[in-house]
Amino acid sequence: MTNLQEVPTEELLSFHDYPTVHSAANNTTIPISEAQIQTHSLEGNFQNSPNRQGVDYAPEPANESPAEKPFWSVEYYQKFFDVDTKDVVERIIASVTPRWDNSLKRHLRTKPDLYGPFWISVTLIFAIAISSNIANYLQHANDPKEYHWKYNFHLVSYAATTICLYVTLIPFTLWGLLKWSSQIDDIEDLGESLTPGALELICIYGYSLFIYIPASVLWSIQIDLLQWLLTLIAAFISSSVLLLTLMPALKLSRHKFLLALGILACHLLLAAGFMLYFFPNAHNTAAVVQQPLKQVAVAVAANNTHLASEPSKV
Amino acid sequence: MDSAKLEMFDDVGGYVEGEMTIPTSQNSTKIGEPDFNTLDEPIRETILRDVKAVGIKFAHVLFPKEKKTLLKEWDLWGPLFLCTFMAMSLQGSSSTDKSKTGDPQFAEVFVIVWVGSMIVTLNSKLLGGNISFLQSVCVLGYCLLPTTVALIICRIILFVEQSYILFFIRFAVSMVGFAWATYASTIFLGDSQKPGRKLLAVYPIGLFYFIISWLVISHTNT
Repeated sequence: MTNLQEVPTEELLSFHDYPTVHSAANNTTIPISEAQIQTHSLEGNFQNSPNRQGVDYAPEPANESPAEKPFWSVEYYQKFFDVDTKDVVERIIASVTPRWDNSLKRHLRTKPDLYGPFWISVTLIFAIAISSNIANYLQHANDPKEYHWKYNFHLVSYAATTICLYVTLIPFTLWGLLKWSSQIDDIEDLGESLTPGALELICIYGYSLFIYIPASVLWSIQIDLLQWLLTLIAAFISSSVLLLTLMPALKLSRHKFLLALGILACHLLLAAGFMLYFFPNAHNTAAVVQQPLKQVAVAVAANNTHLASEPSKV
Repeated sequence: MDSAKLEMFDDVGGYVEGEMTIPTSQNSTKIGEPDFNTLDEPIRETILRDVKAVGIKFAHVLFPKEKKTLLKEWDLWGPLFLCTFMAMSLQGSSSTDKSKTGDPQFAEVFVIVWVGSMIVTLNSKLLGGNISFLQSVCVLGYCLLPTTVALIICRIILFVEQSYILFFIRFAVSMVGFAWATYASTIFLGDSQKPGRKLLAVYPIGLFYFIISWLVISHTNT
């Protein structure tokens, strides 16, 4: 800026011949005008921009500060997928083995990822849809009158809606409630470090859904007692991991028992809802309620014009 | 400076003149070479050349040995054909009969194939793989070929009266298609990931083909 004062106005407005070859080291020695500095910085920005061809794209180092990447670029989201196979396997194992020493939490504290939650959710959606169809088939195979079995592809959409909502809405709500109800008057910095962020909560919830994948495969076995047992065991393991992981944050909350109860209830409700809706047993009382609902929903999806007469037929 | 500039312009001028004289004398150039001229060739040849390129890629998927051919010159014609064919043969009937509404619609299969391959590609990009977006979509699309073959075989089997053995054959055929597709795409795409993350990139690919194979098995024409 001091240079700018000394240069006369005419010289600034007229065209100049600058040497085309200049390196970063030259910048300090050669007296340069404002214009040159600006072109330099522009060039620098351009090279950092994300619109590069993917062929010659090299992965960014993980320790780069995230503020440099704009949020619409792929590179910005790479920090959420910065995991190796063994990390994911360790986290999955930690999510099905409730332990007091909080190994899942220690994992997530350092680097929460979105790979696990995303693909666990997708797998769960299709596992539920596929095994629900298998269960439906097994049920009809025993019934000689119902030889006209059709698979129902649209279960995928219902499963997807449920799981996506559960894995995003609940963590955000919980995050808000924890923020709101945390008592951080005297131990402010401690509270900050213990209250998990929304990303961590999504990650924890995503991994906690893992146990429902084997459960949903086994739910297709049409034995009432086994189905309920599976539901309870899966919900118990999953929610105990969840509660143990969230324990330090919950302890700070004013309504810790209410929150813990809410987490438990939501998780159990999800498991029971999966079982009753997607795996209706012929002997279940729930099946009698669910069947007409399901058929109406399918009819709506197919733009059935005789929607009104549908429930009465069933 | 000035002399350098002049030299450069001289170069360019000579280059352009040379370029314009080339087509008259060139008849024996090979396909793919830079001075190949397509302006005065019949349309039939142009189309046949493209069809041949697509056919060669299909052959590479069926016998996955060479890794670079699919990646170097990608196109989306093959995936488009396969995807449209699958969506047309997998779609349910449009009747409002209650028992027939379980099948996926044309658009649903179409979206599952394209959005699915895009998500899988995005996943491998996010994991730090060094492959361009459309190259990966192209490979994933071409590797649908085994599952499409499985679908055709299943359709043929479905013409006969159904029994448990025939269902088992359909199941086996689709599983072979699934395994083949996953294997082929892993060979083509596996190298683009770091060794520690290969499984993370391969798992979504497997899931993608498994879902499509599930659609193939589940499809019945009753």
